Amino acid sequence: MYGHYNPPFSVEQEGIVISVTKIGEQWIYRRTLGTDNVEKIILGDEKRLIINPVEPLNTPKEITPNLLIEFEKILLLAAGAKRKIFLTFPIEIGVFIADKGDKNLQLLDVLSLVRQKFTLYGEVSNGVICKHWKSQIYSISPSPNPLQEGVIELTLRNASSDWASISKVVFSAYGMKLYYAGDVFTRARMDILNKNTAETGFELQYLSGELKSSPLKDFKTRKEAFGVYSLQKLGFAPLKFYMGWGF
Amino acid sequence: MITNLDLLDIGLPTLDGTVTLGSVLKFILILSFSILLAKILSLYLRRSLKDRVSKDMAETIIKVFYYGMLTIVFLSNVSLIGIDPSAFLVAGGVTGIILGFASQNIVGNLVSGFFLMVERPIKIGDQVQISDVSGYVTDIRIISTHIRTFEGLLVRIPNQQVFTTNITNIVGHPVRRFEYTIRIRYSDDANAAIWLIKDIIDKEPFALLNPSPSVFVSDLGESSVNISVRIWAPVNEWFGIKTRILWNIKQALEENGIEIPLPQRIIRIQTDFQKVPEELKPVKEIESILNYEERVLS
Repeated sequence: MYGHYNPPFSVEQEGIVISVTKIGEQWIYRRTLGTDNVEKIILGDEKRLIINPVEPLNTPKEITPNLLIEFEKILLLAAGAKRKIFLTFPIEIGVFIADKGDKNLQLLDVLSLVRQKFTLYGEVSNGVICKHWKSQIYSISPSPNPLQEGVIELTLRNASSDWASISKVVFSAYGMKLYYAGDVFTRARMDILNKNTAETGFELQYLSGELKSSPLKDFKTRKEAFGVYSLQKLGFAPLKFYMGWGF
Repeated sequence: MITNLDLLDIGLPTLDGTVTLGSVLKFILILSFSILLAKILSLYLRRSLKDRVSKDMAETIIKVFYYGMLTIVFLSNVSLIGIDPSAFLVAGGVTGIILGFASQNIVGNLVSGFFLMVERPIKIGDQVQISDVSGYVTDIRIISTHIRTFEGLLVRIPNQQVFTTNITNIVGHPVRRFEYTIRIRYSDDANAAIWLIKDIIDKEPFALLNPSPSVFVSDLGESSVNISVRIWAPVNEWFGIKTRILWNIKQALEENGIEIPLPQRIIRIQTDFQKVPEELKPVKEIESILNYEERVLS
């Protein structure tokens, strides 16, 4: 389903029907998912639609930029160790409209096929609300349904002098960059600073060199997805997340 | 003959020199221009701060900038109307006392407004309850705070009152809890009801996983088993969830044959065919009653 579409078109997959048809001088965008229907009128020619995975923080309503991934099992990381693990994370499907050459990008619609749930990270008085997701820990990249889940390659670094017991990781979506081909992929890191604090962030570099030639996708070049958060003016929004209430 | 220009030179002698009509006009002009410029710059500042900082923070920055600029312009040009700016410092104490007595309320509100901006117990956009007024904070000015009540009325509360009274900030914390008591019949399975309620909570995205919700039998009432349901939700979403979940619980329980009982009272009527009407019964002589007077007198 992911890709660029020139109207008129119709695409259907896993119960999602997206179409753009011309009625008179107007283009009509229609999307159906179960009982949820969206219909919008587009005034403008020579436009094209881009369907790609976006940050999982827009549905049912954007109330937080933070994503909390809870591990199925607690992970213990030795002092001073650096390891790579793979996790899954939820995907939302973003539909954008743009001029030719992907200029003047505008978000048209966002939908999700996965369970939505929120949680609080931290204390009731000063914690932060996060979108919640539960993931298994994989040593090699899993192959989930790319319309529902993506894969995070998470590099864990324990800079403390103690064992670190990790049960969750929180990310800020402002730094999230998604790449897609047959799967949806992103890279992140978690630096454990001491027993209770850690810093997380997404790797911002474009897929080139090392990652393109990664054995995980040694023959594919992933495309960088347009994100909903990258459309917004970032202002002073932090790209890293400081986990001060434990992990 | 006095021309218009000569009129501008007519002056009043002061301690620091002569104040002419021209200098007064110049002072008014500078002040007016400064107000205009401050407003334009505030507008520009508001635009550039939009999407960069929160609305209430932006408003505070703009107000500090606006009044700061006007104060600087006023003090640097006040000599035009014959007032020495240094006199403010010298006469500050005395002036302060006089002003304090003359305008207690205004100064009190002003100082309270300053502390409200510094301490920030409430922010623009917060849902609050101040005294008996509940609503959204629409503006925090230097003298007063404006509240839009939930009914849509504008209430202006002097800052002194805001600062000295109890403030309940409904959105002061990121999450809040709400609670229901669901009553079911004694003949219904309470465990099944609890399972159904937990399932509904689990399907609601904004019912938080942590702090976890709790569903338990809290009371065995006169005509029902009472189940307490406690759910945490984001402060900006709690009311919508509260109304939505309650109706979903009612529907789910009814679909599964669990009913919410009406208040009931069981009356047992005992039928005894051997029973003789009271008036036909022979009156027994009760010694304690018969001898009552004797006993009392003795």
